[in-house]
Amino acid sequence: MNTFYATNLLVYAGVDIIACIALNLQFGVSGITNFAFIVFQAAGAYAASVLSMPPDSNPDYSFQLYVGGFQLPFPLPWIGGALAGGLVAIPVGLVVLRKLRSDYQAIALLVTSIIANTVITNARPFLNGAAGLALVPQPLQDQIDPRSDEYYYFYIALTAVCVGLVWFVAARIVNSPYGRTLRAMREHELAATALGKNPVELKMTIFIVGGVIAGLSGAILVDFITAWAPSVWLYPETIILFAAIIVGGRGNNVGAILGALLVPVGLEEVTRQLIQMDIGPPNLIPALEWILIGLFILGFLWFRPEGVRPEPRRVFRGGPDVGEVEHGRLA
Amino acid sequence: MAIYEAAFGFGLVSMSVIALAAVGFTMQFGITNMINLAYGEVMITSAYVAYYLDRAGISIWLGMIAGGLFGAVFSFALNRIVYAPFQRKGTSNLGMVIVSLAISLMLANALLPIVTYNSVSYSEHTGSIVRLGGLVVTINQMIIIGLAIVLMIGIHALLRYTRLGKAMRATAANPTLARNCGIPTQRVIDMVWLITGGLCGVAGVVAALNSDSFAIASGAGFLITALAAAVLGGAGQPYGAMIGAVIIGLITELSAATWSAEYKEVVAFGILVLVMVLRPQGLLARRGALAAAG
Amino acid sequence: MAVSPEVPMLVAEDVHRQFEGIHAVDGVSLEVPRGKITGLIGPNGAGKSTFLAVLAGTLPASGGRVVFEGEDITRLPAYGRARRGLVRTFQLPSEFARLTVLENLLVAAPKNRGDSLFGALMGRRYWIQDEERLVDEARRLLRRFGMGAKESDYAGLMSGGQKRLIEIMRALMLHPRCLLLDEPMSGVHPRIVEEIQHYLESLRAEGLTIVMVEHELRLVEQLCDSVFVMAQGKLIGSGTMASLRRQREIVDAYLVG
Repeated sequence: MNTFYATNLLVYAGVDIIACIALNLQFGVSGITNFAFIVFQAAGAYAASVLSMPPDSNPDYSFQLYVGGFQLPFPLPWIGGALAGGLVAIPVGLVVLRKLRSDYQAIALLVTSIIANTVITNARPFLNGAAGLALVPQPLQDQIDPRSDEYYYFYIALTAVCVGLVWFVAARIVNSPYGRTLRAMREHELAATALGKNPVELKMTIFIVGGVIAGLSGAILVDFITAWAPSVWLYPETIILFAAIIVGGRGNNVGAILGALLVPVGLEEVTRQLIQMDIGPPNLIPALEWILIGLFILGFLWFRPEGVRPEPRRVFRGGPDVGEVEHGRLA
Repeated sequence: MAIYEAAFGFGLVSMSVIALAAVGFTMQFGITNMINLAYGEVMITSAYVAYYLDRAGISIWLGMIAGGLFGAVFSFALNRIVYAPFQRKGTSNLGMVIVSLAISLMLANALLPIVTYNSVSYSEHTGSIVRLGGLVVTINQMIIIGLAIVLMIGIHALLRYTRLGKAMRATAANPTLARNCGIPTQRVIDMVWLITGGLCGVAGVVAALNSDSFAIASGAGFLITALAAAVLGGAGQPYGAMIGAVIIGLITELSAATWSAEYKEVVAFGILVLVMVLRPQGLLARRGALAAAG
Repeated sequence: MAVSPEVPMLVAEDVHRQFEGIHAVDGVSLEVPRGKITGLIGPNGAGKSTFLAVLAGTLPASGGRVVFEGEDITRLPAYGRARRGLVRTFQLPSEFARLTVLENLLVAAPKNRGDSLFGALMGRRYWIQDEERLVDEARRLLRRFGMGAKESDYAGLMSGGQKRLIEIMRALMLHPRCLLLDEPMSGVHPRIVEEIQHYLESLRAEGLTIVMVEHELRLVEQLCDSVFVMAQGKLIGSGTMASLRRQREIVDAYLVG
């Protein structure tokens, strides 16, 4: 196992964990089926790229056509990426989150994801269309040689810090009265409204927060692989993350991390090994991976909808003796 | 002016194709309460069935029938094996959307190793050109329009005049009541999936026929367009879907002629969003199918 | 509860509610008396639940006004009305199933510093005092309604009667001034019905105004100080049950004895 391979694994794991935590906040905790999640990650990646790249008039970059090109130093592109994720969430949320039934909301978001990809692919001068962006500068690449082991360790540490930060924020949200209100809204929005909660404000807020975190994950990823194109963020990518949440466990951060490790990381790893073994026609293994993801989703929805690690039941100190009472399990 | 005439001609064909897809889709939702996101993939699979038959030298119209049969059988099986059991289990509407999405992904990827990502098209035989007033259409296109008209009338007749049709409408309005009145809802639902599946298959072949080329990725676009027409007309309302198809067919073709052909789906999507925001129940819905819960 | 007796509690002025051509509520005007339990009765389809929903803000009025303690709340959405002290419960069970009984009550409580994004991010120490205060209050309420032992159970696993109690307790955590109950006794075991009756009476004794949509006339007779009768979207009578029984039209339209 060489350093690059390990770094690759760890960075992807970190990005997937951050993404799953964000999606869990939106879907697991608050009940918003954000089938357009990947768009927010993509927004962050694109923003981080055009903020850090030189303008496309630059001779090394002139084969690409894109907006921006401000050559900002790290960490500004990452902050910009996170902000971009949040900003994109605003119009999408305003249109979709207000009056629609939850399954229609989901479909509207799904369609948004498909169309966003189509538009970016076709509008070449904006973000270089189907070819996407390449040669994205990496953080501190002038100070540390990007091909050295030190750089890899640096990037792993950077990713770990971000994971820690996101975990911290998400834990504070989920384990607070605010998190409880979000869960109540998920359970029965009408009843929550009748108790004085403003559903639109709650949903928009968590949608934007999730968007910001998703944007950050995009920035981390793009600066590692130094390229980004529409083919990277097709709508099924969101489905992988949903599978992760469903498998790992909804409504709690540990479940989100578990799901991230099992599905996007674990499954992708297994797939990569199998591809190297070169079995069958070229598209077979990735196709089988997707079929497996679909089966995972169906299987867990059927047998264990709450996931491997279900949302924990919250018991408060000082209450009646809880030990002997049968509390039952809710799906 | 000629652009608009041509666009109108394309619009006629477009709306025929969309109507076939949208009516099947909306009936699945209206009668079985299932938003079948795998619909686009079934369409494209049927298109491929016809493609392989076409390559073997079989007439495209026979291929279309084969595609329709495939769609019917597959959709029937899909409901029996996956959708109905999950629904019986009490899965939420949202859960069912996720289920159909998973199926959609699995179907597309089961197809992928066989058909790969390449674009294909049916062999050329557009036939002679016919002039109708200012419009110029090919024989194939006329057959498509005619087919759509025949099938739409058939659906209308089914719903209006046959016992099965009445049973379908009763089940759509209130399944429990229908069952209590002695309607064999299980069999009605089976028939719904067979018939709409058949429409789905035919629509897939026809849509592929109407495009210069198609590939596995076309399924998503088919779904969006059918969805837009169905939602515009009022979810679950077959006549609404027909009206929606007319409107979307015309508008997308006009936009393709005057603006850009690549963005046809985007226009359909724009209409979908507009409808969802301004009038979620669509044009014809009597019950607020798309209103917020409660 | 600070009360100005001249200002009426809750007034409906020519309220209409129509949906797709059906006039569920067809010009209802009434005034809810302060500090009393008022019944809202009528045959099925009379529009009682719809009217209650319009009062609560769950459904918007198609016409007319709703005035609460002198303030025109017709345009105010349901969550705004709840914050002003006008709280409703639901006919169908609407507990937060995957939250515990105690959490159900805590959600309702309005004055919690931790119930905002900012508060959450500030961390536990910022809101723990509010939380502990509210936990105490909720526990007292649970004990009063006899559900103290159930605080850590999932609300979704409670019985029908217990869920009703949870809804009422939840509403009480908001310190409402007027409670709108939509068929609070439907589907509840007769013994629990008695309990709920007692609780409602004690709440009235404390000055709470209650409006109750209810089908069981015997119950209405025992519990309600006065009653409004609706049929086909209109108000067809009001007064005590006894006085209503003497009115021919009301009896014909609805009352069976």
